[in-house]
Amino acid sequence: MDPITFSIIRHRLFRIVDEAVITLKNVSGSAITNEGHDLMVSLYRADGSLLMGGVGFLHHLTSAAEACKSIIRRFGDRIEEDDIYLLNDPYTAALHTSDVYLVAPIHRDGRLVAWSACFVHVYDIGAKNPGGFCPDADSIYIEGFSSPGIRLVQRGEIIRDVFDTLMNMVRSPEMVALDISSMIACNNVARDRMHALFDKYGEETVDVACQSLIENSESQLRTRLLQLADGQWQSRQYLNVGSDISKVVLTMTKTGDTLHFDFTGSSVQSIHAVNCTKWASLGGLFAPLFPLLCYDITWNEGVIRPIRMTAPEGSIVNCTRPAPVSVATVGAIQSVNNAACSTIGKLLATSDKYRGEATAVWHANHFAIFMFGRNQHNRDGIGILTETFAGAGGARTFADGVDVGGEVPNPISRMANVETIENMFPILYRHRRLRCDSGGAGYYRGGAGMDLAITPHDAPDGGIHYVVSGKGSAFPMSEGLAGGYPGAPNVYLWHKNAADRISNDEQPASQEPVDWGVFPLMGDDTLEVQWNGGGGAGDPLLRSMHAVLADVEAGLVSSTAASTIYGVVIDQATIDIVATEALRKQLLSARVGGAIPDKMPTGRPIPLSYDHAGSATSVACANCDQVLALSGEAWKAKLLPIDSPMNEIIAAYTTIDGLMLRQYACPSCGSLLDSETVYEDDPPLLDIIGAIPDA
Amino acid sequence: MSYIVATDVGGTCTDTVIAASDGTIHIGKVLSTAPDFAVGVIESIQSATAAMGITNGVLFANTDLFVHGSTVVDNTLLTSSGSHTGLITTRGFEDTLRVTRGAYGRWSGLPEDQIKHPVATDRPPPLVDIARICGVPERIDYKGAIIEALDLDVTKTAIEYLLNEQQVTAIAVCLLWSFRNPLHELAIKDLINELSPACYVSLSSEIAPLPGEYERTSTTAINAYAGTVVKNYMDNLQSLLTAEGYLGPVLVMQGHGGLMPVAESSTRAVGMIECGPVAGLIGSRHLGQLLDEPNIIAVDMGGTTSKVGVIQNGALDYAREPMVNRYHYLAPKIEVASIGAGGGSIIELEPGSLAPRVGPQSAGSRPGPVCYGNGATQPTLTDVMLLIGYMHPEHFLGGTIALDRGACVKAFETTIAKPLGMSLADAAFGIFRIACSQMSDLIHEITVERGLDPRDYVLHAFGGTCPMLAAVFGRELNVSRIVVPYTAAVNCAFGLVASDVVHEYTATTLVSLPAAAQTLNAEFEPLVSAATEALLAEGFAEQEMRIDCAVAMRYGLQVHELGIPLARGFPLCDADVALQIEAFERLYEQRYGKGSAYREAGVELTQFRVTGRGLLRRPELVKSVLGNADASAAQIGTREILVEAQSAFALAPIYDFVRLKPGNVIAGPAVIHTPVTTIVLQDAQIGRIDEYMNTVIEFE
Repeated sequence: MDPITFSIIRHRLFRIVDEAVITLKNVSGSAITNEGHDLMVSLYRADGSLLMGGVGFLHHLTSAAEACKSIIRRFGDRIEEDDIYLLNDPYTAALHTSDVYLVAPIHRDGRLVAWSACFVHVYDIGAKNPGGFCPDADSIYIEGFSSPGIRLVQRGEIIRDVFDTLMNMVRSPEMVALDISSMIACNNVARDRMHALFDKYGEETVDVACQSLIENSESQLRTRLLQLADGQWQSRQYLNVGSDISKVVLTMTKTGDTLHFDFTGSSVQSIHAVNCTKWASLGGLFAPLFPLLCYDITWNEGVIRPIRMTAPEGSIVNCTRPAPVSVATVGAIQSVNNAACSTIGKLLATSDKYRGEATAVWHANHFAIFMFGRNQHNRDGIGILTETFAGAGGARTFADGVDVGGEVPNPISRMANVETIENMFPILYRHRRLRCDSGGAGYYRGGAGMDLAITPHDAPDGGIHYVVSGKGSAFPMSEGLAGGYPGAPNVYLWHKNAADRISNDEQPASQEPVDWGVFPLMGDDTLEVQWNGGGGAGDPLLRSMHAVLADVEAGLVSSTAASTIYGVVIDQATIDIVATEALRKQLLSARVGGAIPDKMPTGRPIPLSYDHAGSATSVACANCDQVLALSGEAWKAKLLPIDSPMNEIIAAYTTIDGLMLRQYACPSCGSLLDSETVYEDDPPLLDIIGAIPDA
Repeated sequence: MSYIVATDVGGTCTDTVIAASDGTIHIGKVLSTAPDFAVGVIESIQSATAAMGITNGVLFANTDLFVHGSTVVDNTLLTSSGSHTGLITTRGFEDTLRVTRGAYGRWSGLPEDQIKHPVATDRPPPLVDIARICGVPERIDYKGAIIEALDLDVTKTAIEYLLNEQQVTAIAVCLLWSFRNPLHELAIKDLINELSPACYVSLSSEIAPLPGEYERTSTTAINAYAGTVVKNYMDNLQSLLTAEGYLGPVLVMQGHGGLMPVAESSTRAVGMIECGPVAGLIGSRHLGQLLDEPNIIAVDMGGTTSKVGVIQNGALDYAREPMVNRYHYLAPKIEVASIGAGGGSIIELEPGSLAPRVGPQSAGSRPGPVCYGNGATQPTLTDVMLLIGYMHPEHFLGGTIALDRGACVKAFETTIAKPLGMSLADAAFGIFRIACSQMSDLIHEITVERGLDPRDYVLHAFGGTCPMLAAVFGRELNVSRIVVPYTAAVNCAFGLVASDVVHEYTATTLVSLPAAAQTLNAEFEPLVSAATEALLAEGFAEQEMRIDCAVAMRYGLQVHELGIPLARGFPLCDADVALQIEAFERLYEQRYGKGSAYREAGVELTQFRVTGRGLLRRPELVKSVLGNADASAAQIGTREILVEAQSAFALAPIYDFVRLKPGNVIAGPAVIHTPVTTIVLQDAQIGRIDEYMNTVIEFE
């Protein structure tokens, strides 16, 4: 295929996806679709394999491929031209019931040649709790309607009885109908534009271009993998619902030009709706993989081929029917996102060429809160707090994480203005501001999260109710990179009777944590949500003291954290340099057992260096050149582990007892090389760096 | 003889158009003189008067009106050279500006390939440092009711802190819901004026009385940041004009497509953003009126970017989420779409697939394209134009700059053709096709994707490169015809003399329909009065005014709004309200697609907008008599050029525009060299020189 035609067809395919996304947003008109960008549109080949993934919630790209494939299996040659199928069963392909897929075959002269697929998070799905997230669910049977595949449009005509039946099962059916219409319109636009493309270039040329597109992506990713170190990296994510604690354990193994993601060791499926199915786990690991490893590669089947996943059946990442899964997207799937981001970051950090692509974990914990009730304009409504789309960026190897920078799996989300929400819901914001000490400490600090508080205002019913699916508030989830601290976890507080407190900072009379279920927001009640910051990268004792001062002045780091974590002594807005140097030396000494370290760290942000002269690669501390291990060895075994109870580190780590931050220091210079969170007697994460190819 | 003088200061050139009362148009062009742009204004006028054989003194003694557009605000932001600015917000919401509604500020304004690469992205640096942002205790709710009174003592302390400790010279004030009730903002302004009369103050309720605190804050911050620069600039310009002997009115172009008296414009820096390209669209619209063509797609291809605007039935659309240097702002601003593809766009091969890309990297003017001979080695789109025979070393910018074809061939051979395994010609054809297809994709995006059919549109091609591509992408889009305007080289300045004085007024109130006409009239009334009074004060008689009213409408529970003009103007009667709903429903489905209407939730009005226009005299262009079709007198040779449909070189006639006469007809394939650009006709196309010396290309 000549590169010119290839380039033009690729751009056109990309434009088709983009135009379909715009159609989806235009017709839907809803806040979650338009502000949160909680949507996805992609094109698929005739066999359902991914052809062109759009920028949306990326964990859907592979699941929608499976949706196409399962429609092919289920309907076979009964699939007709201009049909559209609905599928939202998580045990078939979808992530959870409220993310509804509409997939549409595209025919040429009666022959199936491609598919388009899209999803939006529909306004309601008829689950026990309004809005789709269902903390009350003990099985999928009360998580709303779920279809493993049903024909909704036949030969261009909506099948009215099917449509009406679906709308009969949901709250605010007219809003859901609009969501469905938006997806029909979106698929129609994609189909029309694909026809125009076929008309212009001919089916054969387009087919060859699509095939090359996939082959190109595959060879680009394989080439990239070959440039990276072989080895194994682990990550562990804890998530709790109240006292019920689960974990997602990931071992990522990179061999040659392949990657294997193995979730063996993860908890058995939960009784709560945080579980996810295997298709969801697969999507969950690809969501960060696309932008982190394939930022310059077209997202399609070619990228999927070098990747393999193992997820034990009956576990939280491959649950079996009828386990509840409605909170999956912000539950186990997000933990899979985080774990994959963490291990991919560790892999990238070993490469001189790709180190700049490594990142600590971004926005590790969505706080899906759906408000529902009658508003000041006397209208009933359900609405998500779109702040959940405003996560914090993880620290990078060259810069701090972006404060409230969003998230990797959904690169173009945003939150609504306070004024927009106050006009739609009978609430008043008391504040919405950046949260101190939320970003994980490090040579580069994790991005800060925020803190909001809302109270009823002008509510005809005296207030509203809200559904909160706030799993994981007892554990920090945004892991640090290369010795960086994790970001602070989410906090949900119900301040009762907090009268006359609009913008002052006094603590109200009583407050209690609320993180799972349906709660009232009545009278003078205030709901406060403090959300997680991104993970840090590198050793905070080596961070520029001026950067620490700037953070303190900006209210992003407390003066306590400045001294205890960063070792920076600030006196009346100026740095006491002598005291700071002494304190930093003292803190470094404490890490190596009290004596002054042999060598002082030289101040490198990413603390490992690799020498691959000769046959074996050696791993050394970049801050003092101390050789730590040879390739193939468990390099962390040679380091000094330092355990600190997480909730004693700083106030923002409001975590469960028994949770440790385990930091690994260089035995020679005391600088931090790695960190992990450890609950009770969980084993250390086993990372092995194998042979590193020459750059 | 009397004159209207218009000068547009762009990033590269400062252009002047002088419209004389005898219908003649005179042109001046000099390089812009950043940062002291006003100097270039006088020089540019000088270059026009020199050609006219008169002095600036004579010109200005007979000038009725001076119209001005300038890139000064865009440049202030681009070079970070604005004032040391402070910001006052509602306490508890101090971070609104720097948080940019979450990731929105991190990704907006970025091209797709960067959006897919989040780790490498960040926000632009904030205009107001966190240390210079103060929250004050106060709160107003969605109705405009005061929930908590403004604490004047705390406010005073905050202002003193900003002035004394932070040494700010400008303060932006943006409080929650201030567009509903500006009382607290006004009180803060009084306090600042009292404490420091010299401090520049910008209130969100005055600059952008619209909902959405992030965008409103950003707008106010931009306005405060650039305010003093603009004021000094305007003062300086006025004294220079006075020194030249001009004492008449000075009107300044705004991004909303109208003019504003200089005094008022000085307080609204944000209004001037991107006013040059918008003036270009006004110029296109004016030309369209002359040629009786109300639907126009105007494409201006510069060195690094291409700007595209759409004129639908004589009307210009407003940008939905305007941005300048990736800073969001809220101000009525005519939409101009932009892509990073221009004459200087660098051609690169993607590693792996070897798929060629045109842009977004640009060689700019230094070193520029390889063929400029400034030592560049990366081929650009301009180099491709030389390789496919469209440009010629002897006919570039009237032969003023020699082009180095040898260097161009060598660079293209090494970096593009060889790696692709293609012949020089085939590779160059290919790149040309990619560039054309990018343009057609962009135009598709802002027409077809918005319910507009390019077949109903005329394509206006501006810039040095666009008229070489337009014949191809225009044909692919199926536009009705292509016009390369005679005034293309100074189109923005030409737009200035075709503009009116415009005042915009907005009120934000939620009204559910159906409602009594009386309710709506009560909202419009004060706005209409304000517009009328402003125009009267500027000396416009009633018959020189036009008051247009419009409302923003949406379906309940939906986020998309549409601006719908009042079909029969102000005041409304009850029957008009029903007409308004009908018009909204019709346009909504046209704009957002079939099935998008959500009638069950009812229709709401969210905004009332009044545009007051003071109509200015238009220069009457001289219309020539059409002569003979035979263009052979202007043919200066033949050479091999790429004929796109055949993907091959063919011998084509070459014409000198200067020798062409109105009425001449040229059959494609052919090339016309003008002093400022090159026009290419493909086969099965006919070029015609019309009575205004525009080149009109039609498809056979």
